[in-house]
Amino acid sequence: MDTRWDVIVVGAGLGGLSAAASLAKKGLKVLLLERHNVPGGYATSFVRGRYEFEVSLHELSGVGTAERHGPLYPYLEELGVARRVEFLPVHELYRCILPDLDVVVPVGMEASEEAICRAFPSEAPGIRRFLSRVHGLAEHLVSLEAELDGPLPFPSLVAKVASRPARLAGIARYLPATWGAVLARDVSDPKARAVLSQYWGYFGMAPSKVSFVYFAAAFHLYAKYGPVYVKGRSQALSNAFVAALEEHGGRARFNCGVARITAAGGRVTGVVTDAGEVLEAPRVVSNADPITTCRDLLGEAAPASFLRSLLRGRSVSPSTLNVYLGVACPPERLGLRHHENFVNTTGDFDGVWSRLRRVGPPETTLVTCYNSVDPAISPPGTTMVVLTALTGGDAWARLEPARYADEKRRVADAMLSAAEGIAPGLRANAEVVEVATPLTNMRYAGSPNGSIYGFDNQAHDHTVLRPGHRGPLPGLYFAGAWTQPGGGYEPCILSGRMAAGAVLADLVLPKAESRKSKAGTEAA
Amino acid sequence: MSAPRFATEAAQWAADVGAYVPFGMRRLGLGKAEEPLPRPADETALALHPRRMKLTLREVVVETASTRTLRLERTDGPLPPFEPGQYVNLFLTVDGVATSRPYSISSVPGAALLDLTVKEKPGGFVSSALVRAVPGAPFESTGPAGTFRHEPLLDGARVVFLAGGSGITPFMGMLRDQERRGWPLSTELLYGTRSDEDVIFGAELERMARATDRLHFTLIPSEPSPRWTGERGLLDASLLRRLVPDLSDRTFFVCGPAAMYDLCLLALRELGVPTQRVRCEAYGPPPDVTRVPGWPEHVPADREWRVAMEDGRSFAARAGEPLIWAMERHGVVVPALCRSGECSACRTRVLEGEVFSPPHARIRESDRGHGYVHACVAYPLSDLRVRL
Repeated sequence: MDTRWDVIVVGAGLGGLSAAASLAKKGLKVLLLERHNVPGGYATSFVRGRYEFEVSLHELSGVGTAERHGPLYPYLEELGVARRVEFLPVHELYRCILPDLDVVVPVGMEASEEAICRAFPSEAPGIRRFLSRVHGLAEHLVSLEAELDGPLPFPSLVAKVASRPARLAGIARYLPATWGAVLARDVSDPKARAVLSQYWGYFGMAPSKVSFVYFAAAFHLYAKYGPVYVKGRSQALSNAFVAALEEHGGRARFNCGVARITAAGGRVTGVVTDAGEVLEAPRVVSNADPITTCRDLLGEAAPASFLRSLLRGRSVSPSTLNVYLGVACPPERLGLRHHENFVNTTGDFDGVWSRLRRVGPPETTLVTCYNSVDPAISPPGTTMVVLTALTGGDAWARLEPARYADEKRRVADAMLSAAEGIAPGLRANAEVVEVATPLTNMRYAGSPNGSIYGFDNQAHDHTVLRPGHRGPLPGLYFAGAWTQPGGGYEPCILSGRMAAGAVLADLVLPKAESRKSKAGTEAA
Repeated sequence: MSAPRFATEAAQWAADVGAYVPFGMRRLGLGKAEEPLPRPADETALALHPRRMKLTLREVVVETASTRTLRLERTDGPLPPFEPGQYVNLFLTVDGVATSRPYSISSVPGAALLDLTVKEKPGGFVSSALVRAVPGAPFESTGPAGTFRHEPLLDGARVVFLAGGSGITPFMGMLRDQERRGWPLSTELLYGTRSDEDVIFGAELERMARATDRLHFTLIPSEPSPRWTGERGLLDASLLRRLVPDLSDRTFFVCGPAAMYDLCLLALRELGVPTQRVRCEAYGPPPDVTRVPGWPEHVPADREWRVAMEDGRSFAARAGEPLIWAMERHGVVVPALCRSGECSACRTRVLEGEVFSPPHARIRESDRGHGYVHACVAYPLSDLRVRL
């Protein structure tokens, strides 16, 4: 095994996979190290009995269909990832269930608008006005991005955007806005607002706190191109990234945790693995979160001020509870026809968010039935259902170990009961159940508090406002949900691309590197 | 853009900022009290799921002529909570070969010592060494793992335990836990052994069954002594029908040698017990892989192939033997946990060549497509080039 590399990538989450494949494609000698025995981070699967469960992917945005590719597709194609996976269309955005309402929002900008207007005829003009803002802004962003040749690091983005004042004005007025605030101007019925805000869980942030730009971009991409799922589960996507990396001469090693990132003379020199192996590289991309990277991997070598300024005004996003169910009867018997079914006890999502930080039964249980997208995802005559809820990871982290199993069952039991409301017979026919908590996320992905989206997607901490990809030392870079543009599948893949862009930019202009890295420290 | 239009846009922008986010920016780095840093994810998760545990053998209990219970103390932290029925994978070096074997935990959660009950198998490479271990011997293991356990979310309070031979060990952990909690489950234990004498945990099970009517215990020797007057034979459908009157509302747990699974699962199917009411413990690689459906007839079990590791090491491996055995014999350290095909800890990439993966191998769909196998139940069918 070689001990010298151009770039070492620490962690094979989507950000790390994307950065590694992207850099290898550009001809660099890349080594990707992963502590777990499979790549993907949360983008993975596991087998229990005759079922292989999806760990985390619900709806992938930005890919689109064969007829109409979304903005993410060309990148996956260029890397050689797209041809290694089969994308399956999800047939609707979601089904929103409230105590006295049940609305299915279909794919398509017009179709989704019509469905929501039909459910709230008196609010139709406001709903249409609101959605035209959403799609208008997002189209603006996408076209700008295309003009600027893909996502860019913050300073170059500002420079380029500044040269186009008309476009700047179109976007900038929404930059600090929240989804809830913009929505409140156009729509007054709380239930209509709830239906329009149902994707809030995809950002882990209350509608009144989540960035309008971020939410709008995602809503638009889902509505226009349709969400997709991956044949073979998200593991197939992660495996495809590894295959692409290796095709371009890179190498991935599993069961190979990194104990330390080494530095000398004020810049990164490589890593030391858990087994004590010393590997050298002038550039290291960390797909571990910045807190773990600075505190635990860099240690003394990280300037204390970096983490402090990085964390100012930022908080850690929520974690998840997942109940994975292999059910020994077909989906029709359970009455499950749709992929993504949100079962809400209330439409007050701001209130729900404010009560997330506790160990207890969730107020929204998402019931995902994967068979509607891929009928072959479980053996004939069976159904694969995953129940998901957001929860505050810190409360679970503080739980006494001896109480853990009981609390986990109590919460899973409540989620099962909630799901039975729309899928009677779920429990009686269940053959396999596995419950994952924030501690499971911590165990397998190493994310602080089991967070799933990195830093909270607050109105002042999204896309270009999030931490950049340059770390506190020259030669150190970040990729993943904690950095620009944010948490979620598509953003994480883009973050890897952006981190790779920063590495390449510094290779071309090495003199500017230390200056940029310092500037990065200050900007963060 | 004309100046007036830009001014209009700017005014609109200012208005929107005011309207949408009156206080939205105030937290941007301005005097916000810092939240404490989250604890390292590792530290929190490792209290429940240690990757490795250092253990010292404190006591050896003689259970039968061929069975010992090793009572182990963890020396690098408290024992983590676990679920009765779970196992640890025990690492040890036998004749210079670093290997591991999973053993069910027969003690209860919260106890000071971790009990692993080991039966010496005739010719058993690891079990023969383990039953001869003496107090003070150091060991290392994984944290507790495994899904063979009573799951209150689904399983209900009426259960049937079908145990065969040393397959009694996970049930012992579950029964001791139930006794401690006042017998929350109504349990029918059918325990198949060869003889009625020298039965692992025989005395303790009889004591338990006498003390509560929530446990019915039936010993079923296949070759009983002349004195034996009780049940005898095999755990087949007629015996199950006779001994378990209310089959329909029970959950069945099966743990024993491979032949017992074939028999019990067939019997339960005959009796109309739905799949979702039957739980099986993983029980190592198949005893004779050449008898597993799908095995290519032209390859004899003792056929030897050449295995080349990517790092240059190369050695011979027998077709009828799990790949992990040959790897370990030649000093390759393979991460392993269940050693029964289901957990994927020993996920290994076959770069060239062909292996046989029996149905035990619970390989992910996309892993199959990329040439990954689970080395603990992968059998070489040609020369191989392998990457760990």
